[in-house]
Amino acid sequence: MMKKLALKLPKFTPWLGWVVFLCLVIGAGVVAGLIVFWKGLSVTNLTDLVPWGLWIAIDLTSIAISAGAFSLCAGVYLIGLKRYQPVARTATFIGLIGYSMALLTLLMDIGRPDRFWHAIVYWNKHSLLWEVTMCVTLYLTVLVFETMPIFAKMEWLKKRFPKLAKIMNGTHHYAPYLAVVGLGLSMLHQSSLGAMYGVLKARPLWYRPDISVLFIYSAVAAGMSVTIFVSMLSARLSKKIKVDDTLLERVAYFIGWMLVGYLYFRFWDALSMTYTYEPGRTEGLRLLTSGPLSFNFWVGEMLLGIVIPMILLLNNRTRSLPVWRMLALALVVGGVVAYRWDTNLSGFLVVLSYLPGQPVITYTKYVPSLIEFLAGFGVVAYGFLAVSLGVRYLKVVDHTEEIEEEHAHELELTKTIPV
Amino acid sequence: MTENNFNRRDFLKITAVGVTALTGLRMIDRAEASSGEVGAHQWAMVIDQSKCIGCGYCTLACRAHNDVPQDISWNQVIQVEDIDGKDVFIPRPCMHCAKAPCVDVCPVKASYYRPDGIVMMDYDRCIGCRYCEAACPYNARAFNWKAFTEPNPVVPEWGQPEVERRGRGVVEKCSFCYQRIDRGLELGLTPGVDEGATPACVVICPVGARFFGDLKDPESNVSKLLRERVSYQLRIDLGTSPRVYYLPSEPQGA
Repeated sequence: MMKKLALKLPKFTPWLGWVVFLCLVIGAGVVAGLIVFWKGLSVTNLTDLVPWGLWIAIDLTSIAISAGAFSLCAGVYLIGLKRYQPVARTATFIGLIGYSMALLTLLMDIGRPDRFWHAIVYWNKHSLLWEVTMCVTLYLTVLVFETMPIFAKMEWLKKRFPKLAKIMNGTHHYAPYLAVVGLGLSMLHQSSLGAMYGVLKARPLWYRPDISVLFIYSAVAAGMSVTIFVSMLSARLSKKIKVDDTLLERVAYFIGWMLVGYLYFRFWDALSMTYTYEPGRTEGLRLLTSGPLSFNFWVGEMLLGIVIPMILLLNNRTRSLPVWRMLALALVVGGVVAYRWDTNLSGFLVVLSYLPGQPVITYTKYVPSLIEFLAGFGVVAYGFLAVSLGVRYLKVVDHTEEIEEEHAHELELTKTIPV
Repeated sequence: MTENNFNRRDFLKITAVGVTALTGLRMIDRAEASSGEVGAHQWAMVIDQSKCIGCGYCTLACRAHNDVPQDISWNQVIQVEDIDGKDVFIPRPCMHCAKAPCVDVCPVKASYYRPDGIVMMDYDRCIGCRYCEAACPYNARAFNWKAFTEPNPVVPEWGQPEVERRGRGVVEKCSFCYQRIDRGLELGLTPGVDEGATPACVVICPVGARFFGDLKDPESNVSKLLRERVSYQLRIDLGTSPRVYYLPSEPQGA
């Protein structure tokens, strides 16, 4: 009897432990989310002066790490780097999950989740947030089409609905067109997320044009990093998953050079703000460089987020060692998380006075509440779980797949075209 | 076959250029953010700081007439400084900017301009994203973090609610008591002159520090005051063109 029961229980494996752990975090997140819907946003530590907090940071980050999808798809289908197609496939799936994470977080964050569709019906084309909402909605649709061939590979679907699976798989014929649309939409909203802050004249620290450029640039670096990191980790954890390390290594090298550019842009961005005193901006910058956010800024964003991974990825020896390369990629993502968090908070913590003759700067405080943490971690755990399941059951990371005939043909052609 | 492939590439290129061009056009369009049509009236408020004693009656009357919860003030009275031992106050309603940042950023047009210049909130449309709170330089906006269900403690002492109470999850702000203006005009009253058509804060002020009227009418009391006295607006450097004017307690710079 006991033996029979024991047989029925699945054996404990690290995989099972990981899934159970994520499910527990998601469970706590769901409870927290329900409390938010039931009690309203008063359960958060947000205020009228700091109306956006942890959830917005998660939101911005999950959209940023999804940027690998549009950039790699553009590389594969528009620039013609066909051999990176399996890498783009991984990125597309991560993109789908990333955007769904963002939407989940946003749904909690807005005061009236039941009115989420208003932006699609009532257009204010002057609002960057409207543009972001529209682009994200449209791009999510693009991602659904782009990931259809991945879902079509599911054994269950192939057996149960062979026709549907065939149709879904057929969308890969439109991949180049989807890549164009995806590129356009992503260029718009990835930078607009930064511009959302950049256009606010009332917040001098944000009010500058380059925030939008930095947002899309860092998003592409982080999106590619996540893709490569997930691919490498999957291949290490499972012998069944085969990756072409030369592809991953090349992308990692590219990220390394991207970081050089990123450091350069960040340097001028920060330096251009330091000269001449502008009320609010100087104080905000001081919060970042020597105030409560300084550790995040110098260590999280600059040292660990840019400089160290840049060295690790550009140095041939460290880049060829998987552990160092993976560490570097993880650091890039961590740096972008810190950047999003700092950008959001640094502008809100400094409140400029509107009283005449009083350039009084008020400093506000914000530490997320437990509910915010639980709900936020719940969304993050959902992302981890979805990607883990995708890697395990949908072969999201798989470089062995034979390139389809027509693609092979195109590959030949692109080779003959001198660059 | 090779030619065919080139055609497709060209098509992709043209599409990419098209998307970029469209983006550019939209950006230009965005830059020309309009401030709405201009109606027959342009309402404005003038607050005389030399008269204001900081009693806070305006905030209470506002709270009653607009059914505002205790933790929100549409009209905040701030003590700014004292000149020769005399306290100076700035009552701060919504500025009803002619170029309002909140209207520009609202993703659903829940904030909009009325033809008479009032910056209005459509509480049935607001999704509660709070972008407008980040955009407003005057902190004039407040979010309903929780539902306001209890009875309003300032009712009926300071007045009777004239508008519907806002629900949880939307941003609210001063509306220049549009309901009083609209009803008053229907009854043939003149806002700023007749109490029934004038914002509650102006009516309640015990020292007559607040004035309301039509900037389009050169004979209205606000037009006259702005002609005769030195006045200023808050943070005009931001280009918001506020419709609330202050008459300073002492000449500025003295």
